[in-house]
Amino acid sequence: MKNKNCWDYLSTVFLCLLGIFMIFPFVLMVVTSLKDSKEIMITGLNILPKTPSFKNFVTVFQKTLLLRYLFNGTVVVISILIGQLVVNIPASYAFAKRKFPLKNLLFVAVLAALVFPKYIAAIPNFLLLSRFKLINTYRALILPSIASPFCIFLMRQYIMTIPEDFFEAAALEGCSIPKLLTRILMPMIRPAIGSFTIFSIVSHWNDLFWPLIVVNSRSMYTPPAGIVFFADAEGASDWGAIMAAALLTIAPLVVLFLSNQKQFISSLTSTGIKG
Amino acid sequence: MMPKDRKSDIIVSYVLIAPAVAFMVLFIFYPILYSIILSAQTYRLGFRTRELIGFGNYIELFKSADFWNSLQITGIYTVVVVIASLVLGICLAVLIHQRKKTGMIWQIIFFLPVAATMAAMAIVWRFILDDNFGVFNNLLRALGTSGADWVRNPDTALGAVIIINIWANAGYTMVFFLAGLANIPDELYQTASLDGSTRLQDFRYISWPLLSPTTLFITIIMTVRALASFDLIKVMTNGGPLKTTQILSLLLYQEAFQYFNVGYASGIAVVFFVIVLALTLVQMRFDTRIHYQ
Repeated sequence: MKNKNCWDYLSTVFLCLLGIFMIFPFVLMVVTSLKDSKEIMITGLNILPKTPSFKNFVTVFQKTLLLRYLFNGTVVVISILIGQLVVNIPASYAFAKRKFPLKNLLFVAVLAALVFPKYIAAIPNFLLLSRFKLINTYRALILPSIASPFCIFLMRQYIMTIPEDFFEAAALEGCSIPKLLTRILMPMIRPAIGSFTIFSIVSHWNDLFWPLIVVNSRSMYTPPAGIVFFADAEGASDWGAIMAAALLTIAPLVVLFLSNQKQFISSLTSTGIKG
Repeated sequence: MMPKDRKSDIIVSYVLIAPAVAFMVLFIFYPILYSIILSAQTYRLGFRTRELIGFGNYIELFKSADFWNSLQITGIYTVVVVIASLVLGICLAVLIHQRKKTGMIWQIIFFLPVAATMAAMAIVWRFILDDNFGVFNNLLRALGTSGADWVRNPDTALGAVIIINIWANAGYTMVFFLAGLANIPDELYQTASLDGSTRLQDFRYISWPLLSPTTLFITIIMTVRALASFDLIKVMTNGGPLKTTQILSLLLYQEAFQYFNVGYASGIAVVFFVIVLALTLVQMRFDTRIHYQ
């Protein structure tokens, strides 16, 4: 029995230490964002701010385009999500429930596309978008991501579990295809849509690679590109303001995560195929 | 002759898949083919000359010290990140699995870095590791040792980004292992404890063997994830100092979008593609083995 207590004690200590390591950057970010810039410079281990103030947040909104970045990010992730669902759900329904020539071959192509890393397509996509003079537009940030083999794959898996009867009954009643998709299918695959929504929002809100390539003016940056620009160029070691900006960048996803932990975790991991 | 019904049915199916196929062709399949073509050309953005040179870019690539350096760094980085995240993930999962009441809180804590925007957190880490007023060096100085300029020192930069990547991924692997543990029936542990099995034996003879499909699966996903990492290194070191953190994705980005060496960079992209493809094929092989066991 004594042995058991000892183990419990040790493992708790181990978890706490690792937990502190995990949480520490977040804590530091929050407290530093509340500190005066002179106080940050004073070396020492006083992590807590003496007189917390929101001055840094005011600075961020006055001196940077952070609001604009957050707005850009929101426009981009929502447009990508809607585009992905509109384009890929009909296809996943066809792959799950309909018969047509070359179906298997086409689906193998979808599966293959699932594993291609984004870097391989980056250069040609950049050349294509610049040929159509789309560099520095929302369309450049949105369009390439609408192609989502992962969305097709996930939705198809889910639709396949729906019994045939529903679709047959709908067909017998003369239900048109658009109506079938929007009124019958969409409500039934809500869990899959929810799961994909979290996955899509997280991956595109966080993406730094693509915005760095297709955006070259400040006003079009998404939050990750914006904060990096702020820290490297504008911020000039004003760490208080930089931390405030970082906090505002991660806030939307952290709130989404904390309010929805279980679904958030399962959506980012059940979708593990595509990291 | 096909019945009319059947024919219109097929047309409807093609209409349903057409938009998705069009997007995938335009933004995935055509780019891959075009990358291969580009990799056989001398092509620099802004220059008029553009000719077919066959394997010229690849020959240049395989002769380049930068490329081999990058490949080696990518290898070290990937292997260490994958193994460490796996070990840490399995430890966390085993410990958290036993805690029914506080389990969710621990999960939230360890998963938080996965949810947070990496680019922003990389900046926070830069602040923590800052030479002059970073908390980490302050702590070391308080303990009596001197600090270092972790991110700008060629000896420590790679280690620093590796540790931060482990910080970002331990929670990710943990969740998979937790799901794996949840699938192991409790009776197995109860029977074992009747036979006087210790926790270590429980792990060695029950959890570990039954988790092996999970472990394999995570090894592959984590490998692809680590190979594809970009944000953290771009923000923390940008490949430096002295190219000690220049992983393949970063080399590709710099050649293509900073030096506009499109042909050469496409060669790197193709090599990258081949590595990921090879890994995926290995994964598929293993997958069939597990299912037939």
